[in-house]
Amino acid sequence: MHIEIDEIAKSFGETTALHPVSLPIPSGALVALLGPSGSGKTTLLRILGGLEFPSSGRVLFDGKDATGLTVQERRAGFVFQSYALFRHMTVFENIAYGLRARPRASRPPNAEITRRVTKLLELIQLPDIGKRFPTQLSGGQRQRVALARALAIEPRMLLLDEPFGALDARVRKELRTGLREIHDATGLTTVFVTHDQEEAMELADLVVVMSMGRIEQIGKPSDIRARPATDFVREFISA
Amino acid sequence: MSDVTTFRAPTEEAPIVRRILIGVVVALLAVLVLAPLFVVFAEALSRGVGEAVKSLGSRDALAAIRLTLTVAAFAVPLNAIFGLAAAWAITKFDFRGKAFLITLIDLPFSVSPVVAGLCLVLLLGTNSTLGGLLVANGYPIIFALPGIVLATVFVTFPFIARELIPVMIEQGKAEEEAALTLGASGWRVFRTVTLPNIRWALLYGVLLCNARAMGEFGAVAVVSGKIRGETATMPITIEMMYNEYLSVAAFSLAAVLALLALLTLALKTLLEWRHADALAATGGH
Amino acid sequence: MIHRQKSAMPGFGLSMGITLTMLSVIVILPIAMLIARGIAWGPAEVWNIVSSQRVLNALFLSFKLSFFAALFNLVFGVALAWVLARYPFPGRRFIDACVDLPFALPTAVAGIALTALYAPNGVFGSLFPFRIAYTQIGIFIALVFVGLPFVVRTVQPVIAEIEKEVEEASATLGATRLYTLRRVILPMLTPAALTGFALSLARSVGEYGSVIFIAGNIPNLTEIAPLLIVIRLEEFNYDAAAAIGIAMLLISFAMLLVINLIQMWSRRHV
Repeated sequence: MHIEIDEIAKSFGETTALHPVSLPIPSGALVALLGPSGSGKTTLLRILGGLEFPSSGRVLFDGKDATGLTVQERRAGFVFQSYALFRHMTVFENIAYGLRARPRASRPPNAEITRRVTKLLELIQLPDIGKRFPTQLSGGQRQRVALARALAIEPRMLLLDEPFGALDARVRKELRTGLREIHDATGLTTVFVTHDQEEAMELADLVVVMSMGRIEQIGKPSDIRARPATDFVREFISA
Repeated sequence: MSDVTTFRAPTEEAPIVRRILIGVVVALLAVLVLAPLFVVFAEALSRGVGEAVKSLGSRDALAAIRLTLTVAAFAVPLNAIFGLAAAWAITKFDFRGKAFLITLIDLPFSVSPVVAGLCLVLLLGTNSTLGGLLVANGYPIIFALPGIVLATVFVTFPFIARELIPVMIEQGKAEEEAALTLGASGWRVFRTVTLPNIRWALLYGVLLCNARAMGEFGAVAVVSGKIRGETATMPITIEMMYNEYLSVAAFSLAAVLALLALLTLALKTLLEWRHADALAATGGH
Repeated sequence: MIHRQKSAMPGFGLSMGITLTMLSVIVILPIAMLIARGIAWGPAEVWNIVSSQRVLNALFLSFKLSFFAALFNLVFGVALAWVLARYPFPGRRFIDACVDLPFALPTAVAGIALTALYAPNGVFGSLFPFRIAYTQIGIFIALVFVGLPFVVRTVQPVIAEIEKEVEEASATLGATRLYTLRRVILPMLTPAALTGFALSLARSVGEYGSVIFIAGNIPNLTEIAPLLIVIRLEEFNYDAAAAIGIAMLLISFAMLLVINLIQMWSRRHV
């Protein structure tokens, strides 16, 4: 799905989190929102997901205005920084949650739910953990379960907030590859937020560098490296 | 384009739902809790302030107030000593059976005050071995002040320990250990390091304990014998006056206890504000 | 015996000595006395005394009304905790402080106040076509009053600790707010709510002061178990009082066990 961010701005009371920003995201791209904390990247992601409402501006999905769509209507697969898994449910129930939450008319039968969850567990290469509870998993496993849970609703796009933030360096590398593979297999338009320039450069097709609520530069990793548009970008990527 | 005002965060209920819920909850609380409080004062003042004050000056009322203050003056310090000792032992040392000890300390919470009084009567009443011996030597416990104090200490037993233990667990023992390495004696560490750290929790525990001690009814009703002017505490006297249809007198005495309860709650709320500030101030490291 | 590891911290002997001495003399010895009496009699003899119709009725009444009051407090308490933890509104602090009033107000004061309110000529009592004071409804209201803070105070901190992201995750997966409340939030609150329910129940079963004024105390109808103990003691019938006391103590221990089981169960996945 093609996403168009059109002059989106957001302020919380007195503080401005986003100055009007515009950004086209081509269908099927893997995009990194890169910037230090307070740059507005998470706010932008949350606006895309429908968790936050912009103070002004529009969001277009495949050319249609989606600004007023509720979170539920957006069908964005959202992976939270803390993963936000449901602690009282097994991994299986966590992944099945979005399917069971559908209104009766569009809810798949139980056998179908089981089939889909099993397939997703295979996709994240953890076929045997369905009966476990989130507290019994490692950080990397939790992240993959959160990803599978987001994919279960057959999302129109995938939004990830610092998906590797809470992991140690070794697991991080491994899961980067995992995300790339899942992106390539599903073909979903994917946006992830990171403060780690190496991660953004290595993983994304398109990097959006942000600072102080503004977009500093949009470009392919190689372009940004070769031709930083501003002093901020030059400094940030050399860090 | 949609209006900003129509956007509702996904973690919130619709404003109409909120308003209904707030309304229902506040109304129920007003009926269940505030109305009884209000009626105490309304009944006490139903024949004017003069009448209420006059009834508080009666011999029975004054004797009851004196006795209740005496009981609290014994029971609260006893429980403060126990609370400090128990909290110190539980939070500063590791030993087997700690969880069981905590359960035992909490036990009086789950025992009916009447049963607590009953236990004391069976142990120390005139018809028991121990009680008979004490009475024969001129130390009556049951139907006398010591019994009332014991019953009061029993029902308020966990109060101060319960307030202190979580605070002392939170604070750990690093500061005490530091003081020890600097050469301070045990007492000095307790006085200069521990006590200042727990003073608000201790004060709050003492307030709660005091409110409950002055208001205890069930356990005291059983052990006091309800001798007018001698072993009738304020709550017992309230019951006697109420049963004798001395409504203004009963409610005036009740209003005094209600004021004490309100004062305790007000101080508690104040302490929580202070506490929150203190916690925020130390939360940085 | 209490074993401990070596520690540099001073005062173990003194603090543990005070703790164990006071605990033994004031709490354990008296309770042990009652239990010893029960053991000396044997279960058959205790049952023989307890099983009179009047005693059984009193025990059943105490338990039944306490159960309903705790149930009411479970629902009301969760709603109240939710409102206090989540909705900012003018006077919230005041309402929050009011929740503790039943803890702070002496039971005898609450008892006569509730009776004055719900008596046939009282402010609330006169509004109803049927009697409230001196009936089981009156006892129910008094027990709701004393048990009110328990559920609120156990559930409120749990609500405050719920990560906002968990609720957001549920919404992004397509769940309506109602579905999120039912499937995500309520299960998270269940252990705390059940603990509060059990605490409220335990308190109500043994409650005396706030009930006896409004109960009317008609044998077999509105006579609660603790009152029957007091009556037997006033008749100097110590054996009968002790037998009822043992029955109530057993109920208390059972409740304590239930509360501990709930907490063990809830700790499984946290």
